Amino acid sequence: MHDVVLTILPLLFGSFLAILAGWTRSALVYPLGAVALVMSTCFSVKLLLGVLSTGTATYLLGGWSPPWGIVFVIDAFSAGMLVLIAASALFTYLAFRTEILEGFAEKTAAFVSLLLLTVAGHMGIVATGDLFNLYVLIEVAALSGYALLGFGPGRAPLASLNYLCVGSVGASFYLLGVGYLYILTGTLNMADLAQIMAAAPVTASLHGAVAVILFGLWVKMALFPFHGWLPGAYAMSAPVSAALLAPLTTKVMVYVVIRLLIGVIPGAAMPEAVPDVAMLLGTAAIFAGSLMAFRQRDQRRMLAYILVAEVGYMIGGMFIGNRTAMTGAMLHIFADALMTLTLFLALGSIARQRGEMVLENMRGLFRTMPFTMSAFVLGAMSMIGVPPLFGFFSKWYLLSGAFESGQYLFMVGLLVSSLVNVVLFFRFFETAFFDEPGESVRDIEHWSRVTPLAVAAVLLIVAGLSSGLIVDRLIAGIIPASLI
Amino acid sequence: MEDFLTQLTSKYNFWAYIVLMMIGLYAMIAKGNLVKKLIGLSIFQTAIMLFYVAIGSKAGATIPILRDSTLKGVIDFVEYINPLPHVLMLTAIVVSVATLGVALALVLRVYDVHQTLEEDEILEKIKNP
Repeated sequence: MHDVVLTILPLLFGSFLAILAGWTRSALVYPLGAVALVMSTCFSVKLLLGVLSTGTATYLLGGWSPPWGIVFVIDAFSAGMLVLIAASALFTYLAFRTEILEGFAEKTAAFVSLLLLTVAGHMGIVATGDLFNLYVLIEVAALSGYALLGFGPGRAPLASLNYLCVGSVGASFYLLGVGYLYILTGTLNMADLAQIMAAAPVTASLHGAVAVILFGLWVKMALFPFHGWLPGAYAMSAPVSAALLAPLTTKVMVYVVIRLLIGVIPGAAMPEAVPDVAMLLGTAAIFAGSLMAFRQRDQRRMLAYILVAEVGYMIGGMFIGNRTAMTGAMLHIFADALMTLTLFLALGSIARQRGEMVLENMRGLFRTMPFTMSAFVLGAMSMIGVPPLFGFFSKWYLLSGAFESGQYLFMVGLLVSSLVNVVLFFRFFETAFFDEPGESVRDIEHWSRVTPLAVAAVLLIVAGLSSGLIVDRLIAGIIPASLI
Repeated sequence: MEDFLTQLTSKYNFWAYIVLMMIGLYAMIAKGNLVKKLIGLSIFQTAIMLFYVAIGSKAGATIPILRDSTLKGVIDFVEYINPLPHVLMLTAIVVSVATLGVALALVLRVYDVHQTLEEDEILEKIKNP
């Protein structure tokens, strides 16, 4: 069978079988999910190796060739994204075994099934080469994501409902823009559309269509004024849902925008104001996200606001409009996903031991949870941008790209947000390192939680050291030569 | 004024979807009741579906089913409505029904936790538990 299908099929089958197993043999549910995720990860690695040696892989759904049929197109960059999505989901799944089995004791089957479905949706978004199919997969990923986030206690359902309203409006605006593009070109296939649009006359409706599509995707990725849903949804929900979705959702939406920018929308179709607005919003997101992160007592909420700033990094990088900055934005998708994964996994373990994630509860963590905290330090250092770690290299590309085209305000934003991250994380470290733990605190580190976390943290160093290789093999070939 | 009126009447289907969309958006922003917000969301999504349906239709054309099953004559596509937007909307309707389902399930959970569906009352309860 075709490799592209094999990466997604285990997840779909797994999600179906998990529901069935939930009715008859509930002990099978968790292993089924693990098998599905492991298979998906293995096949995506195989696909990545295949794409690297033989070039872009395509799969025609039902054998209908484009532009009539739906097509899955995997180039080196999207194959890398597939590996990232499958592997980070697998890490989360393994690290939060007890939460999934005990926290949702009655609903484990439903939870596992939704988790697999949301991962399948995200992988489909990355793989598809058809605009309408993209909409459907965005909704598949988002709907199961809303349900996952709504699983938590207390205010989680309300935060998730809020996210649902905003997310649906964003997806609807995207759909509206696709409709306009369909009127203008008569096709929905991305490659076909790129050809027609490059030759088509540039009109106000073309500009309108592009602007509406980008607006919809900005809402979905929580760019600054539309970020309201993100902190609530990630900080109120169960730690496992946040750790699963935080590395994926915003990053995959950024991926979609990059794909459209470099593959579908020719330069002339982009309304002139859009790059300026995007730079403004990106810079504003960095400042506002850092500032609001400063005011939070809850550590997960603080991390969510840092995530808002990170979205600003990537939006800025891709709209600066030179090769270096675009490379930075694409590399930062990988870097940010890996850092967010590490930090949310670590905070999830800590939340299980210490309950509420306020700063006062973090006393003496270094003494009682040394491994978790070491991984957390690596993640935080990468977020700040300390050299051998992954976050430094993507930030370096972004900074030099911004410098090349004279976007000094954006540069200042990058530097200020790094400084703010230093303050935020060292405030945390200070409490956790110097203050004595209370008498009654007995933290337990279980190997099943520490291993995935340690692997993610070590990957930050490995990926950082091999970031030149990643740029050469995965990214450089994708950026069109016209982008200097 | 004349120009504006001709613009308005010649593209009335597009104006209709824009008005519907704005009604939906207004309900989502201004209404305090969570279920009313969801009704607004539903109106908003339906407006976009109507827009797609309007793309496909043509004056004087018929449904896209071939009348002559033996295909004797040449098929003239002007006679038939473009079926693709309608088919796409079939999928979008399914998506919006699913969205509404998930949203109503979440509303039930919210009601279980807070015992009310009015947004200001919920915020009040969160602030002073």
